Amino acid sequence: MFSGIVFSSVGEFLQMGTYAFHVWTVYGVFAIFLFVNLYLPRVQRRQFIREQQRRAQRDAHTGKANAGQNAVQADDSVVPGESE
Amino acid sequence: MWLWFSKLGSPKWFYELSSKWLPWLVVFMAVAMTVGLLWALLFVPEDYQQGFTNRIFYVHVPVASISLACFPLMAGAGVITLVWKMKLADMVAKSAAPIGAWFTAVALITGAIWGQPTWGTWWVWDARLTSMLLQFFLLIGVIALRSAIESPDAAAKACALLSIVGAINVPIIKYSVEWWNTLHQPATDLTMNENGANGPEIWVPLLIMIVAVYSFFVISLILATRNEILVRERRSQWVMDIVAREKV
Repeated sequence: MFSGIVFSSVGEFLQMGTYAFHVWTVYGVFAIFLFVNLYLPRVQRRQFIREQQRRAQRDAHTGKANAGQNAVQADDSVVPGESE
Repeated sequence: MWLWFSKLGSPKWFYELSSKWLPWLVVFMAVAMTVGLLWALLFVPEDYQQGFTNRIFYVHVPVASISLACFPLMAGAGVITLVWKMKLADMVAKSAAPIGAWFTAVALITGAIWGQPTWGTWWVWDARLTSMLLQFFLLIGVIALRSAIESPDAAAKACALLSIVGAINVPIIKYSVEWWNTLHQPATDLTMNENGANGPEIWVPLLIMIVAVYSFFVISLILATRNEILVRERRSQWVMDIVAREKV
């Protein structure tokens, strides 16, 4: 079942017979696909947290909540552009 | 039973449970993906007809078959949304649509790149390829529908309905290669039969890749759902606590 590496050199491996373009394009697309779907959610999460922290701070400054420690409990319902 | 059901539907419960499981899932996926990719690229023997384009299958087949899981998942979540109005179900459905569109697109692209040297064409309008393209457009339709409706409740209901209708396409994709005379080959019997067309050196790495890509699907779905939970529950105390604690 396991008969060893089928290529005898790195160059041969990269050439994939005559199909270097096809094989490596597919694996490239796959790599992008993995990266985007694992990395993008992290970026979005960080953006959301940053946005909420800024909002909480702003609310604290305008004196809506007890400034300081409880800033995050400030109500964010007055932010424009919300549909809920 | 009902207590369990309502607990399962609680976004907070899901968020906390997934926090615990996510690292293990990621480790599992990384190991399976590494083993699967190295095996497929380095160890699988050259096909006597197709040469090394057989490497493409180890990406194309897992991605394509898992893309079919998306609509049944969204339809199931849609039924739960319509019948029990469970919030979590709609969050999962919303997160699944773009991921499913990605899977379908990658399946179509990798299939075309394989088709070019093997069939001599990037694309044919045969039943398998056309129904797969339809699935892509249906998913884009679900995403567009949600962004077009302003009320979240109405959007959830409309998307649930479209997902249930769209799921009809899944058996059509699956059996298209049997019902019609397609250029696309029918599914290969991946049983342990030693006398079969393909030996274990062909299908064991494929099986590993299917497991790896499946866990990738689950991980990206969990990540997207967790973000959706944070956004929708941002006014609840537990999300505010997370926001306050986290350093970005």
